[in-house]
Amino acid sequence: MLDLNNLSEHRRYLMRYATAKLRSEQAADELVQETLLAAVESAASFGGKSSVRTWLTAILKHKIIDMQRREARSPIVDVAAHLDEDTDLEDLDALFVPDGHWRDEMPAWGQPEQSFENQKFWEAFEHCLDGLPAKTARAFFLREIHGMETDEICQELDISSSNCWVMLYRARLGLRECLQVNWFGEAP
Amino acid sequence: MLSCKEASRLASQEQDRELTATEQVSLRAHLFVCTQCQHFAAQIDFLKRAMKRYRVDKDDK
Repeated sequence: MLDLNNLSEHRRYLMRYATAKLRSEQAADELVQETLLAAVESAASFGGKSSVRTWLTAILKHKIIDMQRREARSPIVDVAAHLDEDTDLEDLDALFVPDGHWRDEMPAWGQPEQSFENQKFWEAFEHCLDGLPAKTARAFFLREIHGMETDEICQELDISSSNCWVMLYRARLGLRECLQVNWFGEAP
Repeated sequence: MLSCKEASRLASQEQDRELTATEQVSLRAHLFVCTQCQHFAAQIDFLKRAMKRYRVDKDDK
């Protein structure tokens, strides 16, 4: 059966999923609303064969494709997408000492998968995703959630492939650092 | 010998593209001697698994 109690939690995920693909948060919001509405209306047809999240994502995916088809017919130039605001490597230098060694120690995380069962871990994880710069987060989502190859991501975000790798590197460094501070550093 | 900065970049890129033979050898050589970067590489692998889990549904067993 479809458990509707978790819809707000899934909503945050769906928003990230759609924003990565759509450039405009407004458009993403619209489609996510439609998706949740469609889900509630057809809750009875949810067979429980996949997870709720997978099911919702499938509905959303269709809506995104529809919207992209409509937009392809009336192209809008998106100025913001052409700015490479997140690809500057300079601030990453702060993580290293001048000879290229890590500035801070990199402690082992032990058995990090055990955290998967802990709801508090996922709160920290989402908090850390929120902390990434917008375009970096999009690149990382397109890579890890949409499973796109880097050349597709470059096209989608209109950046060079080396910038794309820098962004993904930046996303991983940022997430790692944030989880170190907010989760793994806390553990006894 | 790569610096940690270069090695961590390559470790990240290894998830996104095929490294050249030279890059692979330099990265392995660095990881062989550097515990810090071993941890980093293990942690970004973990991030990948966490994202996968996040995608399916964290409540899925």
